[in-house]
Amino acid sequence: MNEIVYDVFARKDRGDTLVHIGYVDAFDDETAKVYAWKTYDEERWFEMCVVERTAIIPVNRNEGVFANARSAAHG
Amino acid sequence: MSPFTEEELIEKVQSGYMVEGPEDMTEGYRKALRVQLTVQADTELMSAPSYWMAARYAPSTNTQVSAHAIIQDELAHANIAYRLLEDIGESKEKLVYGRQPHEFKHPYGFDQPLDNWADLVVANGFFDRAGITLLSDVYQNTSYAPLKRALVKIDMEETFHLRHGEVWMRRLSKAGGEAKEMVQRSVDWMFPMTIEWFGLPDDLKRHSGQLDYKLKGLTNDQLRQVWMDSTVPLCKELGLDVPAHWDEEKQEYVLDYPFPCQYDASEKRWAFDEGEITWDDVFERWKGRGPMNEIYVESVQRSRMDVRRWLDGKAA
Repeated sequence: MNEIVYDVFARKDRGDTLVHIGYVDAFDDETAKVYAWKTYDEERWFEMCVVERTAIIPVNRNEGVFANARSAAHG
Repeated sequence: MSPFTEEELIEKVQSGYMVEGPEDMTEGYRKALRVQLTVQADTELMSAPSYWMAARYAPSTNTQVSAHAIIQDELAHANIAYRLLEDIGESKEKLVYGRQPHEFKHPYGFDQPLDNWADLVVANGFFDRAGITLLSDVYQNTSYAPLKRALVKIDMEETFHLRHGEVWMRRLSKAGGEAKEMVQRSVDWMFPMTIEWFGLPDDLKRHSGQLDYKLKGLTNDQLRQVWMDSTVPLCKELGLDVPAHWDEEKQEYVLDYPFPCQYDASEKRWAFDEGEITWDDVFERWKGRGPMNEIYVESVQRSRMDVRRWLDGKAA
């Protein structure tokens, strides 16, 4: 039962900045959406998105969780 | 591989440096953080079956909803803490499903049965207050940035659990009669249980590195005082007896019973009359785990292997 790490981004209100609020482990995009919505239910978010961690492309750091996930997935 | 020696990292975090990931850590820092996060994750996880089995005592559908909302929060908090552990090289799969019940690191209080609605709401009032006390201190002081960010949500939700506990403690206490007696009975076993939860007194505390690495800010005794500073006045206001009082001379709360002392888990009774025991005795009791340990852990782990077998190796 291999789960994938998804990072969760949300903005609280119209006009707010989209911020990284957390992460979920899920089997696919659909379950990631459900887990994110149910896990991070502390606010009535205006907008929430999930993105597979390995899809995040680090721009200026070659270390850290995003770079590590990407290099583990793509070498 | 850390760019710093242990001494350099300690000096840096004490001056406000925030650690962002394993690449910034020394081995000592990683180990201290792993211990802290494991206790946090296991405590959140084991509170879920404990509260879940007690939620059946909820007196209405509305209270069922609030009790289950709390359980949902606790599981989310556990997931977040295990994810933080994965990011420093630990395996959630192994931690949650690969350990024996006695290997979990949650406090002894979550090895005990919650036998009625009063037990559940006092657990929310006392245990969740202990959680907030510990995690607020971590939030204010931690040098580990991913944990600080995660605690914003956790603190918000734990405050709701606490409010739920205190509202119901007030309601039952004000009703008097059997309702108040039930709350008092819960308080009698859970007050010393929570006091013990904060661990060794400072004069006996072994060096853990958590203060050096700025993974927390207050000592065990200070945290115990913070917890009592909210809990004792609340209980007094509700007319509930607690074995502690404010000492004007010392300017701190003082316990009115031998601490630590022995606990009879089957009777849910503290043996105040048998006098003080050693902390080695306490560690032995904790190590033996409480009556619900296996049941709670089994409830979390039981379907994993079955479903994995059904899936026959295919990703679920």
